[in-house]
Amino acid sequence: MKQHKPYNLLNKAEPYLWILPSVILMAIFIIVPIGFVFRMAFSQVTKAGLVKGFCGFANFSKVLQGAKFGMVLKNTIIWTILVVVLSTVLGFILALLLNNEFKGRKIARAIVVFPWATTLVIQASVWKFIINTDYGALNTLLKSLGIIQQNVNWTPTPEAFFGWEIACGIFVTIPFVCFTALSGLQSIDASYYEAATVDGASYFQKLWNITLPLVKPSLTVATVLNIIYVFNSFPIVWTITKGDPASRTDTLVTYLYKLAFYNGKQGEAAAVSVIGFLILLVCASVYMVSTLKKGDE
Amino acid sequence: MDSRYINWKKAILRVLLYFVVINVCLVILYPYFVMVCTALKSRSEIFAMEGTILPIKAMWSNFVDIWYRAPMAKYMLNSIIIASGSTAIAMVCGIPAAYALARMKFKGQTAFLGFIIVSQMFAPVVLLIGIYKVMQIMSLTNSLLGLIFINAAFNQAFTIWLLRGTFMSISAEMEQAATIDGCNRVQAMFKILLPVAAPGIVTTLIFIFINAWNEFTVALCLISTDTIKPLTVGINIFNGYNMIEWQYLFAASIFAIIPVVILFMSIEKNLTSGLTAGGVKG
Repeated sequence: MKQHKPYNLLNKAEPYLWILPSVILMAIFIIVPIGFVFRMAFSQVTKAGLVKGFCGFANFSKVLQGAKFGMVLKNTIIWTILVVVLSTVLGFILALLLNNEFKGRKIARAIVVFPWATTLVIQASVWKFIINTDYGALNTLLKSLGIIQQNVNWTPTPEAFFGWEIACGIFVTIPFVCFTALSGLQSIDASYYEAATVDGASYFQKLWNITLPLVKPSLTVATVLNIIYVFNSFPIVWTITKGDPASRTDTLVTYLYKLAFYNGKQGEAAAVSVIGFLILLVCASVYMVSTLKKGDE
Repeated sequence: MDSRYINWKKAILRVLLYFVVINVCLVILYPYFVMVCTALKSRSEIFAMEGTILPIKAMWSNFVDIWYRAPMAKYMLNSIIIASGSTAIAMVCGIPAAYALARMKFKGQTAFLGFIIVSQMFAPVVLLIGIYKVMQIMSLTNSLLGLIFINAAFNQAFTIWLLRGTFMSISAEMEQAATIDGCNRVQAMFKILLPVAAPGIVTTLIFIFINAWNEFTVALCLISTDTIKPLTVGINIFNGYNMIEWQYLFAASIFAIIPVVILFMSIEKNLTSGLTAGGVKG
């Protein structure tokens, strides 16, 4: 037994050697930045970005007392909920449609891939062009179809702009939900439906009692990932309005970007980051608890 | 009577299905249609009082002009370098980690998996201030190498997630047999597991490539020299504060989109099942 000891030690260390490169990569470029952000959130930071000692919750209280923060937080929550909920519902319905056998299904699937593959900056630029009042494509289209006579101002208020940003967000998120739901749908055994049909179940009974419970795991993963991505999504708002006017279309991430890189308030920006992280942590821990439970089963 | 009623109902449902699917596809394609049409218009035509849907005279020269008006070739090359470099690093680090998670049992395994999930919550944009600091310390601000590392690191979670799912779906028996025949673990992985896992690996590879190719926020923040910008940031040269050259912006965008859309279509099926499988298996 004794002469085997060094071998055993190596054996025990082996898995850690395998994960080491990945751990180093993530440590330097994710964990260290997280550390910096937390440190800056609790420090006085000069305009040049130099950290000048601990200052407790001063940055947080400055952020929370800021006139715009409440509105920005409200925008972020509205943005996240509307985009995630609507894209999940619409994406699921689209998946149900595409799950049928029909001619041209492959083409339809290929088309649905487009918004997922396109970088958000470009997608948002096109939307910005489409909704323009003076020369936008939407007005041109509706005029030539005879639906409107004069150019319509689609973005009379900042809220309208924000609405379009939400629409764009839903548009680009649908494919991801659709395809995850579709892969769930296709793994359902057809015999369930046959049995239910024999029992005289209606379409909606089958949908509710067979399809939904079986697709739920796929949809849950998609929804959790979506909450995180949509919450942290930067390019759409940045391209269409940059959060203007006066932060009325800002979400937390565009707000903190401006705080850090335009206004030189890195301490406050770091505090906003920490607040955003805490909000997401609540969402993710719900998910983590449920997956880890599954792992135990 | 009854069967005729059912046939009618089926036919109507079919028509309805086609109607909805075709309309959805038209809506999805509309922005791309606008993009192509606008890219082919002249500046004066875009801003004309009475706009037209299709270009009156197709200006194919727009697609040539962009290469002179901006360092498009450089942008393209930078995007390729960033995406390939990130993919290479992400795979070199991710494959062994995914292998260990799929095939070995060790202390801290759950914690490591947990960290991977938590790391997903920190989008680069939230950590930009911290990332900027790290880049300053390593003197990697305003460099392609810096972007490569950031993209590789933030794609680790997906890489490991997807690959672990792939590896777990493959039986370990063959590798065990090979080990008995005298292969060590590294050989067994390279010779036996990786060839079988090739479809999953290619899917992961392409997915990371696309993510890095499409990345905008970190590049926007870290890169200030025009000639080392990737396409996503570079094309905004046509998106000025006072004047937007829509025709050039969209012509350049088309070059940025096409390779990615084609790549994405090739992996879509494997990717979605991999994403959910990795998650469901926890």
